[in-house]
Amino acid sequence: MSQSENIFSRLDKAGRLGEDAVLVIILTALILLAASQIVMRNFFNFGFIWADEMLRMLVLWIAVAGAVAASRTDKHINIAILDRFLPDKIKLLVKITVHIFTAAVCGVVTWYSVQFVQMSHEFGDILMGSVPAWLPQLILPVGFGLICYRYSLFVIQEIFRLSRGGRVQ
Amino acid sequence: MIAIGPLLILLALLGAPLFAVIAASAMWGFSKEGIDLQAIAIEFYGIAEMPILLAIPLFTFAGYLLSESGAPGRLVRLTQALLGWMPAGLAIVSLAACAFFTAFTGASGVTIIALGALLFPALQQAGYPEKFNLGLITSAGSLGLLFAPSLPLILYGIIAEISVEDLFLAGVLPGFLMLLMLSGYSVWKNRALRVPLSDFSWKEVRAAIREAAWEIPLPIVVLGGIYSGYFAISEAAAVTALYVLIVDVLILREIPLRKLPAVMRESMVLVGGILIILGMSLASTNYMIDAGIPQKLLGYISLFVTSQLTFLLLLLVFLLVLGAILDIFSAIVLVVPLILPVALQFGVNPVHLGIVFLATMQLGYITPPVGLNLFIASYRFERPIVELYLSTLPFFFILLISVAFIAFWPWLSLVLLG
Repeated sequence: MSQSENIFSRLDKAGRLGEDAVLVIILTALILLAASQIVMRNFFNFGFIWADEMLRMLVLWIAVAGAVAASRTDKHINIAILDRFLPDKIKLLVKITVHIFTAAVCGVVTWYSVQFVQMSHEFGDILMGSVPAWLPQLILPVGFGLICYRYSLFVIQEIFRLSRGGRVQ
Repeated sequence: MIAIGPLLILLALLGAPLFAVIAASAMWGFSKEGIDLQAIAIEFYGIAEMPILLAIPLFTFAGYLLSESGAPGRLVRLTQALLGWMPAGLAIVSLAACAFFTAFTGASGVTIIALGALLFPALQQAGYPEKFNLGLITSAGSLGLLFAPSLPLILYGIIAEISVEDLFLAGVLPGFLMLLMLSGYSVWKNRALRVPLSDFSWKEVRAAIREAAWEIPLPIVVLGGIYSGYFAISEAAAVTALYVLIVDVLILREIPLRKLPAVMRESMVLVGGILIILGMSLASTNYMIDAGIPQKLLGYISLFVTSQLTFLLLLLVFLLVLGAILDIFSAIVLVVPLILPVALQFGVNPVHLGIVFLATMQLGYITPPVGLNLFIASYRFERPIVELYLSTLPFFFILLISVAFIAFWPWLSLVLLG
């Protein structure tokens, strides 16, 4: 038991590190590329055409990567007016329902994102001069797949807690 | 969202992530119309087709970085040196510093955390009543919303497809009106406590300026660049992010390099949270416009409302309720596409609508039961939330009056546009 827990916590740590690395790399690239575009335009009177396209792609990437990171601690923007009036036990049931719903929605979005990427692959769309469009578009199925995975984990943990008669933290 | 019925709304109220609720409603709409659900991915991919969105991660990151650095302390000292001589000086200093900081950090609640920690004890020490101080800091936490380059202004410009530069100009006077009215209230409320914070001293001003020498060029370059048209918004954002990064991490070294990934992560969690909602609402909005929801809405409203005046009144009430339950970013992406066509029919200028929308939503930050600032302040100052409801109430009413001015006096928003 303790060994398997160990593996889980290591996996968790590695996942977090991976997210951080991806966020740091994309954001740094975003800042440097955007700034260098200004320098190029103002001092050398030209900019890379591919850079504008790349910047937009990086914004998509950081949006999805940020959303994946937000999922780790269930930090997505929500309304949640009703649940604070509920007793603990029911709160847990509500949480399970809400998380199943979120995982399911993300699962469906992942499925159709895969089709979207496949379609783009078949059409042979090209970005930035030479990059096949489906490559950067992969962030959609990967990202939503990870969010789906995250919320599925919540559901498992919560059912486990429920079976122990546990309470919401 | 309206058509899909109560189930999704119930899920939202029970705390389902908003993006998932919006995605579900969009996909439900698509499938009802026989549209391939791939549309959800195609619409979401629209995020990669809006160049101005680049400004959002860059400004947010710069804002988080600034709030982690010594900049809040230097900003307070400088504002004190400049405004501290007034009666109720410290209260005015707090309002001005918060407004400025919020504008630069994107109205995400960081103001209360970054500046409240400095201002609240100082206000207490200066003898202001505690209830006043709590209310002041909590409501000042979203005060700069109408000043450039705040994120909600940018986001509204993107969604309404109007010039963000125009919005930046339009927000100036209404923003100052709010600032003035709250300052006036603070002076009046503390008339017994007429002691100015300090005498005006050129020496202190010079010292404060010297201390903030690295930060002072930032607003000048950014605002000057934007208003003069030299920088596009996203370029100004890039300059800000790079500048703050270099100054705070490499030159002043107030943020150690090893802490940088955490700041980046934290700020991008917010960005991801906003943009995933934006992406999903691109899909749901498209569906709603195809389904003619705005026209139906217009037809329905026209039954009761005939003049612009009554429309604006209705709008204010609606936005007040909306602001109490929905955060400003989600409200912009979800609601603006629906009410904009209706407002245009009633002859409301889209820029004016934006200022009214944001000014009213700003009240939402301090409206019970779920106003974001109330929770942040309750958490930060370790006070029960009800105490914050009560202490922000007078400030809420002052702001409400200023919102009414802003709504029924379009001149205030539009005069600078020329």
